[in-house]
Amino acid sequence: MPSADVVVVGAGLAGLSAAIALAEAGATVQVLAAGHAATHWASGGLDVAALPGSPTARAGVLQLAAIGTHPYALVGDALEESLAWLRATLEREGLRYDGELDAPLRTVPSAIGGTRRVAILPAGQAAALAPWTAGQALVVCGPAGFKDFWPDAIAASLRRPAVWGDATPPSMVRAITVELPGLAGLRNLDALELARRFDEPGWRAQALDAIARALDTDGAGRGLGAAAGRVALPAVLGLDDHVAVLEAARARLPLEAFEVPLVPPSIPGMRLYRVLRAALRRHGGRIQVGEPVLRVELQGGRVSAVVSSAAVRELRIRTDALVLATGGIAGGGLLATADGRLEEPLLGLPVEAPAVSEWLAADPFDPAGHPLEAAGIRVDRELRPVASPGGPPILDNVRIVGSLLAGQRYLRERCGDGVALSSGWLAARSLRGMVAPPPAGTGEDMS
Amino acid sequence: MTIAELVGQATVGEVGFSADQCLKCNVCNTACPVARVTDLFPGPKYVGPQAQRFRSATALAPQGLGLPTIATPDRTVDYCSSCGICTSACPAGVKIAEMNSRARAVRRETVRAPFRDWLLGQTDLTGRLGVAFAPLANWTLRNGLIRALIERVIGIHRRAPLPVFARRTFQARWAARPRTRASSPELGPERAVVYFHGCAANYYEPAVADAAIAVLRRNGFETIVPPQVCCGLPLISNGLYADARRRARQNLDVLADYARRGYRIVGTSTSCTHTLKAEYREMLDLDDEAARVVAEATWDISEFLRELADTGRLDTGFGRLDEELPYHAPCQLKSHGIGLPALDLFALVPGLRAIDLDHDCCGVAGTYGFKREKYDIAMAVGAPLFERVRASGAARAACDSETCRWQIERASGTPMRHPVEILAAAYAAGDAAGMRSGAAAGPATTRGDVVAE
Repeated sequence: MPSADVVVVGAGLAGLSAAIALAEAGATVQVLAAGHAATHWASGGLDVAALPGSPTARAGVLQLAAIGTHPYALVGDALEESLAWLRATLEREGLRYDGELDAPLRTVPSAIGGTRRVAILPAGQAAALAPWTAGQALVVCGPAGFKDFWPDAIAASLRRPAVWGDATPPSMVRAITVELPGLAGLRNLDALELARRFDEPGWRAQALDAIARALDTDGAGRGLGAAAGRVALPAVLGLDDHVAVLEAARARLPLEAFEVPLVPPSIPGMRLYRVLRAALRRHGGRIQVGEPVLRVELQGGRVSAVVSSAAVRELRIRTDALVLATGGIAGGGLLATADGRLEEPLLGLPVEAPAVSEWLAADPFDPAGHPLEAAGIRVDRELRPVASPGGPPILDNVRIVGSLLAGQRYLRERCGDGVALSSGWLAARSLRGMVAPPPAGTGEDMS
Repeated sequence: MTIAELVGQATVGEVGFSADQCLKCNVCNTACPVARVTDLFPGPKYVGPQAQRFRSATALAPQGLGLPTIATPDRTVDYCSSCGICTSACPAGVKIAEMNSRARAVRRETVRAPFRDWLLGQTDLTGRLGVAFAPLANWTLRNGLIRALIERVIGIHRRAPLPVFARRTFQARWAARPRTRASSPELGPERAVVYFHGCAANYYEPAVADAAIAVLRRNGFETIVPPQVCCGLPLISNGLYADARRRARQNLDVLADYARRGYRIVGTSTSCTHTLKAEYREMLDLDDEAARVVAEATWDISEFLRELADTGRLDTGFGRLDEELPYHAPCQLKSHGIGLPALDLFALVPGLRAIDLDHDCCGVAGTYGFKREKYDIAMAVGAPLFERVRASGAARAACDSETCRWQIERASGTPMRHPVEILAAAYAAGDAAGMRSGAAAGPATTRGDVVAE
């Protein structure tokens, strides 16, 4: 250094997946990120596809792939392979994910009393995946004084059958607010504070006792029997020691518990970021957070160096390849200009975008999605940027991954994590031969 | 008054203005090592950009409308350790730590700093006195009863990792060194660098200066040691900006002259070099030509040596160091935005297996962890790091910042070294091996002497 076989710009799921897979393959990898974001803002689940009317995530993926211009059209089997790879990678670091692409999409409650349809969730949330059967109660339980999770309001909303769409709702929804020990007088009781307290074994035991007692005395637990209900808790069940907290909750609570992700900062998202970072470092990858990338240098039609800001001068990293995982409009990967264009600021790549007249949709929550969502960079089969569909690659050693890819409507299609993961993994496969010759004699090929 | 003027007043330069970019996403709170361990600090979001709105409102309040003036709404800003991790984590580019530092300085204009905070900022005064009376001073500061008294009267925690005074300042030894070669200033910027030793190497750790000078000479650079004072960072972190500006001015007057002539300013204290690079301008508003030219000329020593390596000019005659070396990258180093140059250099030493501990902060954050009311916080922040250093069983570990070294060494029991000391040891190992094989040649024979007592 400062040189790396590959520089990855962006530390969300797409960038880190690419970085880990490349580091695993023996490449020296430098991740550069302007700050934390994507993981810390998301639910910690893996949204692959949840289209209205489509029964499974896989059906959604196939439907999107058939559009032709959607990133899933390029992915093929890589989605399944990358998902298996990611789950194995995360599990090695202690974080398990449950659910299947082919299982029916499940309707799970959200922290504002709505629902969302999901297929793959981290272990802490996974108990929400089982369908509700007749006689089963949902108990929404939260700590008193916690402003990001209001059991009464959530339960009131979840009692409306319409919220559950086509899914069978629980037979009964109850709300319980519990006084947890030692929280009185705290001025800032946030998710982070609760998660860290759950990490302490002593406090954890007391808190679980309090929750168990509340469930018992309310009749929800003992009265109904464990098989007859599940309890929804805010996603604060530990940060460093989440696995132990989950085990303790299973052992102590009369009902099966699942976490409901909250408004940012997302504790499940932080858990995901931490294990991804640990996996990257385990394979020798490096990550620098806090300095934005200023520009990319080209030589002979190829990226030759990436320059990031520094206290003075600049940090210039020579590289053989660049993975651009800078995100879409929300992440800063695309910038809107005052005169109504979208720009990709690092390489000035052509952006496929709707006309400025479509930017201000009448209904920003239109079920058809917002036109701007689909804006992004068009790529070829190797994820190299192109000026127009079918055109030649603009830069041979650049790969575009994640929400910067054109053609996805991640809010409507709920495909953001699947696109991020599979494109990151594909980029790594595509670059692997270029930057790190496979070990001699193994003949192993990721494809 | 025009709107533009009002806005200008309200935003205290770039630092204050950046509060407008805050999305309230809470990412800074998730990254803050202090909020992680104590309820006394609500977190950077609340103290930083959120409170900044009230500070801006104060500046904006038109005269005569009877609006309340709010100085700085939350005294918990004092519990910010200034590690800067929040600024790094922010995806929106808000300068949170810088905002907090300025808020602390504003507070100091109305609420007088405790004597203890003033004293911790006077590193030249305490350093010079301590060295002058080193045996007595060191005995005093290691006496439990006296330390208990100091804690009670002054507020410096009895277990704070105060360093040991050297018998002689580095400056004094340098002035008295035998001069056998051409005096360095005539060598020109291609063959000499200006050394900013900082207070640590001057008063406490002259071995770091020795190692730096030896390693620089090994690579063809003589060392110029101009008169210099504390960079001012301890004053900045304690909110004493006026004092800090005076120190900065003194340093700039001397250093700018060298910088204009093309000399590079190389420092062994990564927090001093970061102060020269960034804080004079960002915190102290000394954004003139002198401050800019000095900032551009300043290098952390590992950054400088890595630059030599990248351009093929580093003497890589390192001998074998067969050891696992735990390494902690301090917060101040991360604020440089230069990657991890020490690790890049360690990778060039045969046999050396450096382990990046990847912990956010050791807790001490300059003088923060010395303070009675903050010592426990600092220890809790660094606890996982200390445990990892201890558990490694390594004979020594490395870190670029002095107060971090003192904190980690005290808490883990593992001797801590500056990266340049490790490199000096690697050169020495190379020379010894060369001599054993009777093949000492080239750089090994022209190696300069280490400045020694």
